[in-house]
Amino acid sequence: MKKNLNRMAALLMTVACVSSLAACGSSTTTETTKAADTTAAADTTAAGTEAAAAPAEKSELAGQSITLLNSKGEIQTALEELAATFTDETGINLEVLACGTGEVPYTKVTSMYSSGTAPTMSILDTTDVIALAGEYGLDLSSQDWIKYCDNMTTKIDGKVYSFPFCVEGRGIIYSKKSIEDALGKTFDPASINSLDSFKAVCEELRAAGMENPVVLSKEDWSLGAHQLGYIYDTYDGTTAGADKIMAALKDGSQKVEDYDRFNQFMDTMDVILDYNYNKEDPLGAIYDEDPMHLVEGEAAFWPNGNWAWPNLETAGAETSDDYGFIPFVLGNDSSDLANTSMQASPTKQLMVDAKQSTEEQQKAALEFINWLVNSESGQKGLVEKLALIPACSNNTVAPKDPLSRDIVAKMTSGNTYSSSFVAPSDHWSVVGAVMQKYVAGQTDRAGAASEIDAYWQAQK
Amino acid sequence: MNSLGRTTGDKIKSFLMFALPGTFVFVCVVIIPFLYGFYLTFTDWNGVAAVKNLVGFDNYKALAQDKDFWNSMGLTLKYVVLSVILVNAFGFLFAYFLSGRIKKGQNVFRAGFFTPNLIGGVVLGFIWQFVFSQLLVKFGKSLGIAIFSKSWLSDPTKAFWALVIVTVWQLSGYMMLIYIAGFTGLSEDVLEAASIDGAYGWSKMRHIVLPLMVPSFVICIFLTLSRAFMVYDINLTLTGGEPYGSTRLVAMHVYEKAFTARQYGIGQAEAVFLFFVVAIISGLQVYIGKKQEVEA
Amino acid sequence: MSAQANTSARDLSPKAADRVGGTKKLVKDICIYILLVIGALFYLVPFFMVIVNSFKQKKDIIKAPMDIIGAHGMSLDNYFKAFKQMEFVKAFGNSIFITGLSTLAVIVLSSMVAYYIVRANTKIAKLIFALMISSMIIPFQSIMIPLVSIYGAQMSLLNHRLSLVFMHTGFAMSMSVFMYAGFLRSGVPKSLEEAAYIDGCTKMETFRLIVFPLLKPTTATLVILNAMQFWNDYLLPSLVLGKKPLYTLPLSTYSFYGTYSSDYGLIMAALVLTLLPILILYFFLQKQIIAGMVAGAVK
Repeated sequence: MKKNLNRMAALLMTVACVSSLAACGSSTTTETTKAADTTAAADTTAAGTEAAAAPAEKSELAGQSITLLNSKGEIQTALEELAATFTDETGINLEVLACGTGEVPYTKVTSMYSSGTAPTMSILDTTDVIALAGEYGLDLSSQDWIKYCDNMTTKIDGKVYSFPFCVEGRGIIYSKKSIEDALGKTFDPASINSLDSFKAVCEELRAAGMENPVVLSKEDWSLGAHQLGYIYDTYDGTTAGADKIMAALKDGSQKVEDYDRFNQFMDTMDVILDYNYNKEDPLGAIYDEDPMHLVEGEAAFWPNGNWAWPNLETAGAETSDDYGFIPFVLGNDSSDLANTSMQASPTKQLMVDAKQSTEEQQKAALEFINWLVNSESGQKGLVEKLALIPACSNNTVAPKDPLSRDIVAKMTSGNTYSSSFVAPSDHWSVVGAVMQKYVAGQTDRAGAASEIDAYWQAQK
Repeated sequence: MNSLGRTTGDKIKSFLMFALPGTFVFVCVVIIPFLYGFYLTFTDWNGVAAVKNLVGFDNYKALAQDKDFWNSMGLTLKYVVLSVILVNAFGFLFAYFLSGRIKKGQNVFRAGFFTPNLIGGVVLGFIWQFVFSQLLVKFGKSLGIAIFSKSWLSDPTKAFWALVIVTVWQLSGYMMLIYIAGFTGLSEDVLEAASIDGAYGWSKMRHIVLPLMVPSFVICIFLTLSRAFMVYDINLTLTGGEPYGSTRLVAMHVYEKAFTARQYGIGQAEAVFLFFVVAIISGLQVYIGKKQEVEA
Repeated sequence: MSAQANTSARDLSPKAADRVGGTKKLVKDICIYILLVIGALFYLVPFFMVIVNSFKQKKDIIKAPMDIIGAHGMSLDNYFKAFKQMEFVKAFGNSIFITGLSTLAVIVLSSMVAYYIVRANTKIAKLIFALMISSMIIPFQSIMIPLVSIYGAQMSLLNHRLSLVFMHTGFAMSMSVFMYAGFLRSGVPKSLEEAAYIDGCTKMETFRLIVFPLLKPTTATLVILNAMQFWNDYLLPSLVLGKKPLYTLPLSTYSFYGTYSSDYGLIMAALVLTLLPILILYFFLQKQIIAGMVAGAVK
């Protein structure tokens, strides 16, 4: 009896299930074929064999599909729009790949290379280009645009492997309005040309009721690469100089704790920490909240670079407002280049892949660079849409935001020094962690120095 | 008798038909990479180059000297122990309350506790990152609660606890269901008999319920153990290893060693080491659990 | 199945409670209720806060994340922007495609392997089973590097959704086979198959028509478990799918998070969009899901 019942149940279920299985089965096949079809279709377009589908009059490379890995998260949306304009004008499909947060651009590129899916172009830090170019980079030495930016290119064994995508400058951002409102008198940024003068204005602001006028962000890239980076940049203000001091740190002929620039830097850091708006919980600072303090007049200074403009703007700043840079002051010699000038160098480089892209794709990539350098929409897009400072001198579009305007003005008046950041790729995260510890009071100057020393000694 | 073939030819046919497709995928994806991984630990492959050189035990020597690895291994062990205990304690407690004692809203509670489990670690991490670094800070500041007025994620110890809390939050609902299943399987007669004998409250729990629940514990602890050892996405989006690299669990360390520092050989050696640790611990756990089961 | 969920709970201490007395039980129950409600709040409030903040502007979120309505009011802008920028439809489609196909493949292949292992008394069956069981303790981290090396550097098979389906299937194999085998051993009598076999069914027909339908409870559980795993997985897809058009929902959520600037409103909206499909499904199927999970967990 029970068996019979079981059997009945089994039969019933079988009917139900077979029909569903059958349904599943057929739908699978169609799905699979469909997927295969789409992949195949995608492949053919990618290979560019069906160029007929694309408008032929635009460019002989029309219909090509190329990719651009973007390591500047803040311009992602604008860059996608610019890519769309480029596609409209040339017919070359340009896809912008994003590099997520916490994803080290260098890691992203290498993992893409190891999985055989390298982007046609990648926007990278100079130091990453140096590490990768020899193996994967396309030699760009004979490109036409070099005449506009020869002094800005990075040469590796005498060859140029990358297009200087933009110039970036950094120092200490000030909000003129915050300062003048607090002090009730006009503020001349040129008057800050030594640590003492910086400290004096901070003290003045504190006395006027602005308890902690400096906002220090906690991000490791900010602390490790941008702030601590000054000790290499200001060796003599050139990339070669930075290289020299790094070599000396590596071979141990220079100890961090005896290095003047390091000690001057830490003196400045100590002042900043003393007047830090985020003093209570320095590592609890929220990067997007930091600029709000400037905009709302609760603070006056923010050690950062011109890439922070979008953040200021979101926080409520207007392009007509008076924001600008004072140098990241080091020591009290007011004729020292660290105190007369600000750091401004090509920070992002565009490298073209020579290994995993087809020749047509490489040509299409070069076309994109030319478009950026020479076409009106490229020039305008770079400066106005992406809010970048161009490295090429033929681009005279004036930047919209006050921070970039200030850098362009300082470049023209000769108040900048240009030293590209050429430390190893993991420098910012390792040394950034050391600086975070220092900022959080978990280590002292000697401890930080010895950890940075250890980092350099470990480099081969 | 054997329903899958009497003759050799039949047997081969059944094997080809039933076992081969699934086994093939499994071997391709799990076994071959696993064995190949062993081989990689003896090479200096950098992830890209076509040439690999055999380097003997160099990678294992480097592993022994990798201070960061041992730090994150220690941290991971601490994390695993705490997560296993807390996840199972909460899961068991909820299951106990929700399989009988509480009738009204039973299903609502069950569904509620299980909800975090539906959501991937990436999204969970983001949600809690926001909670810990912004919500609680503003909340703490406005009410003057000292423990919340600083971001938990800026302090190594608290950030570690944040990881544990989120893990408990995510996994305890799942374990709760397995324990509920265990309670469902308990024979009513046994429980009733125990009650008549005058065993209730803690004594019933200790002498009757817990021993009968051993199989559920074995499964749950095994699942929590392996999940906790492998946790990566919550780690990535909640703390990202911050502050200053102090909350980098071993999975993240291995990932960064291989894909960031491009030391694939060392990274893989560390992964293999991790395998042995997990193998020994979960082997022991299952063995002890089974023994308990038999004794009970 | 839903009926099963309702009756599955048994009062653990009916007699005991009666003897202890009504008031004491009531007080105790109320205490437990309060504890459970606090617990449930802890489990659900984070979702609520994310939803609330997804309607606010970035500035309001940072300044006052606790406010229900931001100073600049509520708006759906975040949703429109997030929907567009994360290419929600595409990512959602990818997730559906990958999850659906992988789940189907795992169910079909693992049930057949388990059937073979349980019914064929051969050495190779035992070997396969032993291999699968022991592989369950291999941490994914010890496979991921060689996996990228083999399928990426050597075979260039990455960046295809089907490769990911293949890998998902392989990784889910052992657990699914284990659960099917357990169920087959205890819950499926051989006699039925023999009868069918004698009636002239081929082995495949016997399996399809008789055995597989009987495995339904385990199938239901495994569909849920595997689908959830595939839907939410981040690490494996992040290694396999490097192109944005291929991104699954977790990948596109993650790529949405910028280094220099995080638009919290957008992120909150993106999170809600990612959660929504699964929560809707869960809302309608929660009884079945919970019951299926409970049923599957017994084994």
